[in-house]
Amino acid sequence: MSFLAPLFFLALAGLAIPVLLHLTQREKKQIVRFPSLMFVRRIPYQSVRRRKIQHWFLLMVRLAALALIVLAFARPLIERADLPTAAASAREAVILLDTSYSMGFGDRWARAQAAAREEIAKLSASDRGSVVLFGSGAEIQIRSTAERSRLIASVDAAAPGASATRFSPALKVAGAILADSTLPRREVILISDFQRGGWRGEEGARLPQGATLTPVQIQSPADRPNLSVAGVTLARSTFSGQQRVVVTAGVVNRTEQPATGGSLTLEVNGLTVGTKPLAVEPGGSTSIAFDAFTVSAPNMRGTVRVPEDALSTDNTFNFVVSPSTPVHVTVVDRGSAAAGLYLGRVLSIGDAPRFETVSRRPGEVSDDDLRRSAVVVLNDVEVGAPLARRLARYVEQGGGMFVATGPRATWPQDVDALPATIGPPVDRTRGDAARVGALEYGHPVFEPFRAPRSGDFSAIPIYGYRNLTAAKDAQVLARFDAGTPAVLERRLGRGRVLMWSSSLDVSWSDFPTKPVFPVFIHQAARHLAGYAEPAPWLTVGQVLNASAVASTTRAVVRVVLTPSGRRLPFEDEGTEVLELGEQGFYELRADGNAAEAVVAANVDPAESDLTPMDAREITAAAVGGGGTGSDAEPDGVPLTREAREKNQRLWWYLLVGGILLLGTDTLLSNRMAKA
Amino acid sequence: MAVEIHAIPGARFMDPVVLARIGNLELVARAVVDGFINGLHKAPYFGASVDFAEHRGYVPGDDIRRMDWRLWARTDRYYIKEYEAESNMNFSVLLDVSKSMDYGSRGITKFDYARILTACLTNLVHHQRDRVGFVAFDQDVVAHVPPSAKHMETVLHVLERLTPGRPGSLKAPLHKLAEHFGRRGVLVVISDFYEEPEAVVDAVSPLRFRGNDLVVFHVLDPSELEFGFGDAQPFEDLESGEQMPVVPEAFREEYRSLVRAHIDALTQAFSAVRVDYTVLDTSQPLDFALFRYLNGRLKTMKIR
Repeated sequence: MSFLAPLFFLALAGLAIPVLLHLTQREKKQIVRFPSLMFVRRIPYQSVRRRKIQHWFLLMVRLAALALIVLAFARPLIERADLPTAAASAREAVILLDTSYSMGFGDRWARAQAAAREEIAKLSASDRGSVVLFGSGAEIQIRSTAERSRLIASVDAAAPGASATRFSPALKVAGAILADSTLPRREVILISDFQRGGWRGEEGARLPQGATLTPVQIQSPADRPNLSVAGVTLARSTFSGQQRVVVTAGVVNRTEQPATGGSLTLEVNGLTVGTKPLAVEPGGSTSIAFDAFTVSAPNMRGTVRVPEDALSTDNTFNFVVSPSTPVHVTVVDRGSAAAGLYLGRVLSIGDAPRFETVSRRPGEVSDDDLRRSAVVVLNDVEVGAPLARRLARYVEQGGGMFVATGPRATWPQDVDALPATIGPPVDRTRGDAARVGALEYGHPVFEPFRAPRSGDFSAIPIYGYRNLTAAKDAQVLARFDAGTPAVLERRLGRGRVLMWSSSLDVSWSDFPTKPVFPVFIHQAARHLAGYAEPAPWLTVGQVLNASAVASTTRAVVRVVLTPSGRRLPFEDEGTEVLELGEQGFYELRADGNAAEAVVAANVDPAESDLTPMDAREITAAAVGGGGTGSDAEPDGVPLTREAREKNQRLWWYLLVGGILLLGTDTLLSNRMAKA
Repeated sequence: MAVEIHAIPGARFMDPVVLARIGNLELVARAVVDGFINGLHKAPYFGASVDFAEHRGYVPGDDIRRMDWRLWARTDRYYIKEYEAESNMNFSVLLDVSKSMDYGSRGITKFDYARILTACLTNLVHHQRDRVGFVAFDQDVVAHVPPSAKHMETVLHVLERLTPGRPGSLKAPLHKLAEHFGRRGVLVVISDFYEEPEAVVDAVSPLRFRGNDLVVFHVLDPSELEFGFGDAQPFEDLESGEQMPVVPEAFREEYRSLVRAHIDALTQAFSAVRVDYTVLDTSQPLDFALFRYLNGRLKTMKIR
């Protein structure tokens, strides 16, 4: 027996208090007024103090109570090695159970569950356990409980998901649980198939000091077939006005056996539209192209499927195809064929996206034209104030406007919509022609020209341009060699205005005849129209921004229907994000029942690679190289005196005993006073 | 009223507590004294003050009116007749009115008891046509009524208005008074004598120097004699205000023996200087005190 705070024994001096009280009994009673204390004073003082102690038992009770309380404050602990084992060996066990889809391979999941149950059964009554399921993320199912039935129930209720394996988040969660624990032994039991892909030597996944990591490797023979569809490519084409798609699927054989005899099927909207024979060499891969099919409707759901094998989750690959929607462009020009020749030709080519162009004179632009158009191009025209105001309002409401200022371009002064005021023409036919430089390659319009040899604007001689004075909130994207702005952009309301300070025909430059011209025009039109290519599929674990996906339909997504049929409502504006957790098709719905958009979710193909890693690598990284991993003796970490005292909690019993004795003392003394 | 009271059988030994409740000292004194006298039937020593005492030889300067001519006729020598006392003697009560007297455990304080006793004695003496006076003192003289045949009402009046308040001391006031009482007489000192016996005697004795007869009443409350307190309590000295914890049951025996020793010492010291000393317990009837007084007077006279 020793004490953590022996200084408290000084308080034992307080034991004298009840003795003195007993002896003096200076009870607060009424003062007796006596004529003279002459005689009383003569009685020796000592004889007053030396009174007999009348209530020995009461005194003993009081002394014992005080002594117990003092002992409790001194924090006693028993140092004997054999004693504290029961309490001190209490451990905090965190069971990390891998629920990535690779655990669905063969009987791995059943064996993992059995291993988890076995670990739970090993917990003693004083132990506490937690169950954390992890895939690409980690989720605490049960946190630090001594109820084994709850732990087992949570293990039984778990199932492999669609996510990939990532050990790092799981170890971080386990470390957080252990860090909060007060139990002396802290242990993490990692039940997984330990795929190589799940561990990238992550930093920061370290367990607290003294914690141990016990890996439980769930192995299964690799001789069972395992094919997976690694991905598809969609090749679009237009044939007689119809859009067609050729699907090419990549299939990987992850086993040592050749995969023959099976077939690869393509399903579109639930119907099998193509079947191809499948033959993949051991450890090899192949790509198989299906016949083209017509994209007749939006949100067509396609699935490429290989035959069932030991790991079924990676046997399917989903994608969504929709007819590419054209971008409507209204070109306002003077009506002459020469002026709009190059622009019209450029806009007529391309499939992604397709541009549908209408040409109007300034006076012919109707509200309907503006409503339908994503982009309006002012090709060197004089714009009157009424049209300018309508165009300004159109841009503020989200439209895009491209202004090319040739020799005739005007814009009313009182309508503030352009990125610059249009100045007089600059004639560079004499001397050196002007060159465009200082491009903002970070801007989407010039982004394709970023790489070397991706188009050279400075090679284009410009013989005439308008002297533009940039507005305050305009961004100059390119300048002429003289420093005057060549390309400017300005955000106006929800829309944008892009300005080219020269013409789009060959009257002032050779620009329309250069290779960079179509790219520039297409990029500008896409940028102004806010066009984004829809992704045919996403991977499980990625975050889906529902409002962005449905932006093309301009509908507000209220509900997302998951592949498993759950309805996830979006209550508030701006919260339309969702982490994809299932494999299949997510339907994004507005108020009605029709799907506004469909998103295909696929599992991470890297998870199909079942190549195991050495679990000791994780152990070493998580618990450090000090040999405190699973090989270390669990009891090898000596307990500090504080921890031992904390476990034994002798002070608690002493304090309770002292308080009980004080209560007894009160009862006894009350009873004696009444008697 | 007085007739009614003294007619009551048993009024002779009236409880001092009952007497204290009457309030009017004159009434009380008369009730007690009348009852007392009635009870004595025939007082043999009544008028003893004019009795012959002795002869002594004539010395020049003696009043020849006091010469015993009959004796001269028989013996042919001149003798002077001496009498026991003057027929109209001076009688004064010296009452201690210190704070310690203001104590009573049984309904009457020592002060009240002493006051009634004073009134009774004064009344008794007044009946004898003697001159009555009164002095109240604590650490100094508080009230003074010179002896006179007409001063009984004054004495009673002064007695009525007295209240004990200050701490007491015997020596200073009594020494001062000793010089004051020039004419022989009877002096009665009533006090609780909370001083050392030597100091008490030292303070009281000078009163005798001019030939005064001295009677000392030591008034004590029964509690002061018996110390019958129960629980342990803090005790406060009435005069000094000093407090001390007292456990009566532990103190009792020792206290009693100390008080006894004190009284014994006083008795011895007073008898040595021929002072009539009586301890009065306030639970005793006043008649007892008066009886003791007169009895003591008689004895003294007989001794002489």
